[in-house]
Amino acid sequence: MTVFSRRPGFGAQPPQTNPFAYDVSRHSRVDPALVHFSLVQQFRGPAGARRLAVGPDQCLYIAAGTSVHLYDAQGRPLGLKSLNAEAHAVAMAGDGSLYVGLRDRVAVFAPNASRAVVWASPGERTWISGVAAGKNDVFAADSGNRVVLRYDRSGKLVGRIGGRDTERNVPGLVLPSPFLDVELHPDGLLRVNNPGRHRVEAYTVEGDLEVVWGKPTAAIEGFCGCCNPVSLAILPGGDIVTSEKGLPRVKVYSVHGKFQSVVAGPGSFPENARIGAGGIAPNGMRASLDAAADARGRVYVLDTATALIHVFARKPEAAFGRRHAG
Amino acid sequence: MSSPENPKPPLAAGTLAEPTMNPTPSDSTPPVSRRQFLRDGLRAAGVAGLGGVAGLGAARTGAREYYWQIDPDKCVRCGRCATECVLQQSAVKCVHAYAICGYCELCTGYFNPEPNALNTGAENQLCPTSAIRRTFIEDPYYEYTIDEQLCIGCGKCVEGCSRFGNGSLYLQVRHDRCLNCNECAIARVCAGDAFRRVPVDQPYLLRTAPPAH
Repeated sequence: MTVFSRRPGFGAQPPQTNPFAYDVSRHSRVDPALVHFSLVQQFRGPAGARRLAVGPDQCLYIAAGTSVHLYDAQGRPLGLKSLNAEAHAVAMAGDGSLYVGLRDRVAVFAPNASRAVVWASPGERTWISGVAAGKNDVFAADSGNRVVLRYDRSGKLVGRIGGRDTERNVPGLVLPSPFLDVELHPDGLLRVNNPGRHRVEAYTVEGDLEVVWGKPTAAIEGFCGCCNPVSLAILPGGDIVTSEKGLPRVKVYSVHGKFQSVVAGPGSFPENARIGAGGIAPNGMRASLDAAADARGRVYVLDTATALIHVFARKPEAAFGRRHAG
Repeated sequence: MSSPENPKPPLAAGTLAEPTMNPTPSDSTPPVSRRQFLRDGLRAAGVAGLGGVAGLGAARTGAREYYWQIDPDKCVRCGRCATECVLQQSAVKCVHAYAICGYCELCTGYFNPEPNALNTGAENQLCPTSAIRRTFIEDPYYEYTIDEQLCIGCGKCVEGCSRFGNGSLYLQVRHDRCLNCNECAIARVCAGDAFRRVPVDQPYLLRTAPPAH
């Protein structure tokens, strides 16, 4: 298309600023005093990366395309495990079994196995977007049905968690977009994000709702936009890492939901922030973040818009203050 | 404009036709007087001029086979659709892809970034003309509809929805209003170069599915 330039004196000049701007610039900047982590490493992950997890071996497992890619802690690729369907999420159990969420099924790689066993689909509407593995159970976050599926280790579906149940006082998960995540906390409770309600919820493995925290606000202590957080991770001490889209930021909360610190703000993910949650990145992915933590407390953040893995470590002065705070 | 039906581009207005008057004197041809030459020459020029007018008409007819439209994936919500259209109220309107919408309680296309409360108070609304209606469906879901009589196409709601949500709100040129100017005043200054010509039988660039995740 030809773009014509305006001639001087012909009509109004184009506006230099947008009088209808949607301004969240105030929240795009994060108070440096709140940022307790610094970037220590960055490397490019596989194309189409969606979710990542850190295994007990401290290696990084990334669900991307129809594979799970394995990287060491320095970001060196070590191999991959192939599937015959898109890998949406990944988790590794303590014994080395690898659980991969496909669209509507869970695939299991036994330790050192190259071929997966795929469990039966619970239904057509199932859209798995997160996986967590415990000693006796495997949990799959089903965005399509707005529940967390509980399986035993043999693949038998034994429960559904988080669905609306007035008798058990469970209001239900609200998912405007498919970003349900689940993590198994060391305290034995599941942590599930409820993006439409801007909350993190704690459930027993039987499905009782125990703890709820989080509030909607663009301010740093809350969850911004229409539907956040989009993913969770657990730090070694039990603190909870949340990731948000729209204003891409990663933060740490205490186990009771008290805001602790910022891992990375929107300035760390400029391309993600520019595209926005509703846009499509050049790689065809939606712009969101996923995080995982290793045993040393380093936080790995996957930016799906760029497929970059950002590795953050706690600043020494922040670690010192944290040790002496309580 | 070249097309399979019109392989040759029509002549633009004022373009002179190729000289067809090139009499070659021969024995069988009587000599042409100066008066005859001028009369035939004017007649030929008139025919050529008519051809030019016809060509212009064809060009305009050809232009009507295409409409201006906004590619929602290129739109950067610069606000110029509201200020640059030759119509007093822009022909660009916000449209809503309900299949993509999350029916959010806190719709970032409806509420300003820091609302006092999640209600329909004017101070909480993002739209400068209150062109979005919010209707309760069931807890916690709300439906949002665009009042096109009020919408000025500023794209503020589109930015809110695209930044945080699924991008179900987006801008389109409404052809019941658009004059389909040959040189669209908005397209000339579109910051995202999002305006393009589309065939009249496919006049809208609709969003039907959310981006993959």
